[in-house]
Amino acid sequence: MAFSFKRMQAVFWKDTVDLLKNRGLLLSMLALPAVLVVVPTGVVYAYATAPDEPSLRVMARYYDPNLPATVSAARYLVERSLADWFSLYLLMPVFVPVLISSQAVAGEKERRTLEPLLASPVTAAELLAGKSLTSLVPAMLITVGAFATLCVSVNVACWPLAHELLLPNGMWLFGIFVVAPLFAFFGNAVAVVVSARVGEARMAQQISGVLMLPLLGLFGSQVAGFLQAGTRYYAALALVVAVLDAVLVWVGIRLFDRERLVSRWV
Amino acid sequence: MSGIEAEGLGKRFGGRAAVTGMTFCVAPGEVFGLLGPNGAGKTTTVRMLTGLLSPSEGQARVFGVDVATGGDALRRSVGLLTEQPGLYDRLTGRENLRFFMKLNEVDERTAWPRARSYLERFGLLGREDEPCGGYSKGMRQKLAIVRALVHEPKVIFLDEPTSGLDPEAARTVRDAVAELAAEGRTIVLCSHNLAEVERLCRRVAVVKGRLLAQGAVTELRREGSALDIHVVGDGTAHVTRLQGLPCVESVLAEGGRLRVMVKDEAAGPDVVAALVHAGARVQTVARAARPLEEVYLELVQGRAAAPAGD
Repeated sequence: MAFSFKRMQAVFWKDTVDLLKNRGLLLSMLALPAVLVVVPTGVVYAYATAPDEPSLRVMARYYDPNLPATVSAARYLVERSLADWFSLYLLMPVFVPVLISSQAVAGEKERRTLEPLLASPVTAAELLAGKSLTSLVPAMLITVGAFATLCVSVNVACWPLAHELLLPNGMWLFGIFVVAPLFAFFGNAVAVVVSARVGEARMAQQISGVLMLPLLGLFGSQVAGFLQAGTRYYAALALVVAVLDAVLVWVGIRLFDRERLVSRWV
Repeated sequence: MSGIEAEGLGKRFGGRAAVTGMTFCVAPGEVFGLLGPNGAGKTTTVRMLTGLLSPSEGQARVFGVDVATGGDALRRSVGLLTEQPGLYDRLTGRENLRFFMKLNEVDERTAWPRARSYLERFGLLGREDEPCGGYSKGMRQKLAIVRALVHEPKVIFLDEPTSGLDPEAARTVRDAVAELAAEGRTIVLCSHNLAEVERLCRRVAVVKGRLLAQGAVTELRREGSALDIHVVGDGTAHVTRLQGLPCVESVLAEGGRLRVMVKDEAAGPDVVAALVHAGARVQTVARAARPLEEVYLELVQGRAAAPAGD
């Protein structure tokens, strides 16, 4: 059967209307970006407003023992913090789709809406695409929105120290507009695959969340100083995630088989 | 063209047969009942006929479309009301209907007036912009019926439409189904509510893992071995004589009416002959119509002598 963009749009429209009326889910989606704007801004503000604080050099030397005395420790720590938080900005578009896709797929089972839906002409690919768009679009809107807010707040907070715009830079732009969409797709695909296998949205969220935990290692390694990730590293990572995305889409379409879903869940 | 033609239709899940050997026809414009206890295979049969499950054996066509290969064409031909209405609670009634109009790619400008007329007839007009989460069970079920109709399907499958409803809500849903039947729509009604089936369906099939019987409700009720005999004068005078016949199980008399339970359907002439021999003036003899419940229980409990044909 030919892919119908109208039917895909119908699924996207319904899930979006449903999402906009789900205040609890909207609030939980906005919590993470709020933290990812407020906390790093507070951290760099603390460095920028007390550049002569002696403990800053101790901290800076922890990261780079060879840091020249002529380099401002506060400026070094600001840039270092932004690089650390960059990996968390890549994780944000992973977790937002987990919240939405778990609701959108396993939620259909929970609410007993799956059978009428599957009895309609919509195909597995249209259903999967429509539901994926419902989580990818807000995930990217939230990520880009949070990034834009972070750029403004960091530049304002650090202006007295840097006297130049610290954000956006090449790595951040590459991360937000190339790597983040791939990560968002990954988070969505994992949530879709998991929620096609379990019967409850909450369980789908929990399992998907656990599967995403290794990604937090990215952030942990960078903060601990084990990983000095640059644009090349993230480009390689993007390639790996793109391959994983393709595999997960293939698995997702197989799991969205009508008969399998009906005989297992309805 | 027949509305629905099923021949030897069956479904296995792994090694377990959910239903087997379903052979029946539903004419266009007919309201056909699928009767059976829970787990009898009614829902599985409906799912095969609506393209949700592919048959493991046999074949079926719905208005000429093969259920195994029909795909999109099949799903456009059928409307399905599931036991649970399956509405999106945060969406309004209007949004729920719009979603299914979009999925079926029907022109909303023509579909809306139609949906609106159903909403009006089912008493939902004026409530369509409220979230479905606030609807009563009966309202939800009626909206789900409207949803099943938005794409003008050729046949509507109603799977336990009044299950779990209070008597008042069940009645409003039954009335809604009766209105659709009066329009001449082809409807397959799955139920174990015998009164509902008797009221709405002309023909029924009784299912329990396989087809036990099918036919017109009136015929099924006459299957079996009871005779209604009217005689002139007092019938009670003949009770003792009839009870002495080896082919008679029991006799009830009320005025000039005798209800004679016989062991064999072919025993009718013997009973009449005995009455005439005793001097009774027999006015009418007819097979007694038994309650559908009695026939149904006899079939599903395996007490029936043989399945009824069509």
